[in-house]
Amino acid sequence: MTNRKGNDTQGKLAVEIGKLKLKNPVMTASGTFGYGEEYAPYVDLNRLGAIIVKGLSLKPRHGNPSPRIMETSAGMLNAIGLQNVGVKSFIRDKLPYLRQFDTAIIANVYGETIEEYLRVSEILTAADGVHALEINVSCPNVKKGGVAFGTDPDMIAEVTAGVKGVTDLPVIVKLSPNVTDITVMAKAAEAAGADAVSLINTITGMSVDIEKRIPHLKNVTGGLSGPAIKPIALRMVWQVATQVHIPVIGVGGIMSAPDALEFFIVGARAVQVGTANFVDPRATIRIIEGIEAYMNRHQTVTMDDLLGSLKI
Amino acid sequence: MWTGSITFNNQLAPQCLHMAVRLPAEFPDPVPGQFVMIRPAGGDGPLLSRPLSIYQFHRNQDHAILEFLYRVVGRGTELLSRLTPAAEMHILGPLGRGFRIEKTRTHRILLAGGMGVAPITFLAQYLKGQVAGKDELKICLGAKNCAEIVGVERIKDMPGSLNIATDDGSLGSCGLVTDLLPDFTQGCDPRKTMIYACGPMAMLKALAEQLAPTGIPCQVSIEERMACGVGACLGCAVTVHDRRGKRVKKSVCKDGPVFNIEDICWDQL
Repeated sequence: MTNRKGNDTQGKLAVEIGKLKLKNPVMTASGTFGYGEEYAPYVDLNRLGAIIVKGLSLKPRHGNPSPRIMETSAGMLNAIGLQNVGVKSFIRDKLPYLRQFDTAIIANVYGETIEEYLRVSEILTAADGVHALEINVSCPNVKKGGVAFGTDPDMIAEVTAGVKGVTDLPVIVKLSPNVTDITVMAKAAEAAGADAVSLINTITGMSVDIEKRIPHLKNVTGGLSGPAIKPIALRMVWQVATQVHIPVIGVGGIMSAPDALEFFIVGARAVQVGTANFVDPRATIRIIEGIEAYMNRHQTVTMDDLLGSLKI
Repeated sequence: MWTGSITFNNQLAPQCLHMAVRLPAEFPDPVPGQFVMIRPAGGDGPLLSRPLSIYQFHRNQDHAILEFLYRVVGRGTELLSRLTPAAEMHILGPLGRGFRIEKTRTHRILLAGGMGVAPITFLAQYLKGQVAGKDELKICLGAKNCAEIVGVERIKDMPGSLNIATDDGSLGSCGLVTDLLPDFTQGCDPRKTMIYACGPMAMLKALAEQLAPTGIPCQVSIEERMACGVGACLGCAVTVHDRRGKRVKKSVCKDGPVFNIEDICWDQL
């Protein structure tokens, strides 16, 4: 079977996220891979399972003032504030470039209001070359929208059902870890019709310059990513995977193939690689090759043999 | 990403170091003003690479050498400062847009504050070798005190004038490097002049104010914290005026690090 781009979706690493068929389970996390073209000099984009582009809003957004990032122990804080070119410019200026590649393009959707989520989703659905939508109800660095939606199960349900009503594309809901019980949020998304959930977005944190006694980030707080958050992400993915029936996409501190494999074993059908792209532009390729080598070594036939194979 | 090895990593002043890294011959020629993202190979270093501007580049038959001048400002550069010869390094680059050189602007003034001397030295050597010929370069260096005036040996023998200012007057004239500028800009033809500057943001902001009424063009190389170095993470945003005068965000790593001084919105600082 091949998808509409002729992908090899029957290979050993092939996975399905609802009706979205991917040649392998490795995607780039939104906000860490630009619009794809930034990394094209370093990575053969055709080899990726999917590219998830930077979160898109209806109008362009300037984002937060600098400094926006700070390295912390085994991780980094960011408060970019969803700087993006806006959905219309994305379709006009970025999507034509992405269309030439034999990989799934997933657009990450952000809104300050429900109406904005729906409008952006509609526009992306009408465009040629977007294969799925990821709904960002979890950005911690904007004043309106984002995580304000993602910490309330009723709001998650409303956004999810609304987007499902305006698109025939697979809808992935990206969840925030900044909640008491992430399984409640995942179940709300599932009940409202989400085709999959991805988790986790960054964990809210901060860092202080003790000489100047000011926060390292102009936004004061930011989202923590990188290896520091992997155990938390893994625990949350495991919890969610045991509670929902839709595919779970694991995100959080994945730097290597063994990291990704941990996520598959606890129940993630696919993974997103984020901060690792900054450290090594070829991280995704290394991870794909490492997963393949592991499968050969363990005589694993398909990704399904790995999925949720945790022995407790 | 390239893998290289340190050939030396010497201390020049209390917090200033000079590092050289040997790289494969395939490493592309950098343009003055460009930078690399660098970190020690293996897992002991910082998570993210650090941006360092290129101080010097040369080729031998089977390898290339990149040199850097850097100051210890945090944990990342602190770890770099402890590395010893033969340590393996990962390098991404050369990155960014360097200085633009117009051959018709033969009156060239180079201004460096602190570690800004690194890209300015690379530029001076490049200009002498490629473009400037007999044209004299006017080079002005500034730092807190004489101990922090580093890298002079590479430029002091160049034909042209080298001028030094220190905050405490321990070397050269007492004051800021920007105070040296009027001697070279007085009566000059703005159409034939270009100023190239690199240094702390406060220095560059003062320079912008000083130059605004003169109409003399200037390119500045600026710094900001970076994660990716290729324009993807949007961590190094700077506010600039676009062609229509609208305020927009640009990435220092990809759209810079060299900008026209009048394009930067200096009120953001």
